[in-house]
Amino acid sequence: MGRIKLFFDFNVKEDVLLVKEAERLEYAGVALFEHQINHNNSNNNKIYFQADFETIKKNSSIHIYRGVEILAKNPEDMKRKVQKARKEAEVLMVRGGDLKINRAACEDPRVDIISHPYHGRRDSGINHVFAKKAAENNVAVELNLKYLFKTRSHLRYKILTQFREILKLHRKFNFPLIITSSSKSIYDLHTPQDIIALTRCFGMKKEEAKSALSETPQNIIERSKIRSSVLIGGVKIVD
Amino acid sequence: MKLKILPTHMRNKKRYLAFEVRSQKPLTREDVISLVGGAMGEMYGACGASRADLWVVKVWHCGENVIKGILRCNRDEVDTVRSALPIINRFKGGRVVVHTLGVSGTIKAAKRKFVKKFNLMG
Repeated sequence: MGRIKLFFDFNVKEDVLLVKEAERLEYAGVALFEHQINHNNSNNNKIYFQADFETIKKNSSIHIYRGVEILAKNPEDMKRKVQKARKEAEVLMVRGGDLKINRAACEDPRVDIISHPYHGRRDSGINHVFAKKAAENNVAVELNLKYLFKTRSHLRYKILTQFREILKLHRKFNFPLIITSSSKSIYDLHTPQDIIALTRCFGMKKEEAKSALSETPQNIIERSKIRSSVLIGGVKIVD
Repeated sequence: MKLKILPTHMRNKKRYLAFEVRSQKPLTREDVISLVGGAMGEMYGACGASRADLWVVKVWHCGENVIKGILRCNRDEVDTVRSALPIINRFKGGRVVVHTLGVSGTIKAAKRKFVKKFNLMG
């Protein structure tokens, strides 16, 4: 096992093959995300995970975490859904792209990850104001490698520019950064060493890439473990 | 809602590159963007092209199949962008050529110095 401790992977969770592949590629853990959660169904107060999540968890030797991805129309909608989903999820991710949602997600300490804030935009989707907020509230900003691989080749340079911009803000304001792959099949997964080498093309250093792959996910998990016993920021119930 | 602009010391330092395109087939701004982006990608790859921070700011149609425009790029990568432009030679089966007219620090100056001066239509 390499020095990489944890790596998060956002994939279709019913796929046992994906988890097996991640295990083979020496990942220490993955977070399984349901891609098509029916958030609009207002009758359900809970977000249901399919039963075989538990089976997958039992049968694999790596850590499996339960993630929820939130698709919101506006900030109020986002807050409501975050409130609903927080207890169910170990990792909570908000799908960004819209500026208002980006901002609301950066200001909400309950959110763990803001997913692709640059989605469908010309700029990176965050600026120094959002970056400060994200650093205060420990919201990790995601660099999604799926966008790099799946964009057509003559537009790839735009994605890399956006990554560069986020990296620049990260160096200045120190918000957590996370690299994910958003895999849907085993052909989307790459070894951590390959990903670290790849991040060099947008100017990321080896240590930065390592911490984005292992330390940030670990911190997120640690925080989600103690979340139920924390009353307000800085105050925790001790048994 | 618009993003607040970054403080001055954190902004990318940029230069504006005035250029003209002559082609046999009529061109639009989108075509120019894909031509320039494609040329940069071909010459330096996605990684090198991302460093240049390319953007086609504005184009003017100056007469029959002649386009003048302003290209934004990173201050340190002006020569890289200039070197990639000559490899553009074909568009939709017709011939096309790109010439750079000059480099400037602002859009206004680039327009005044290079675009308006040689404007064929006035």
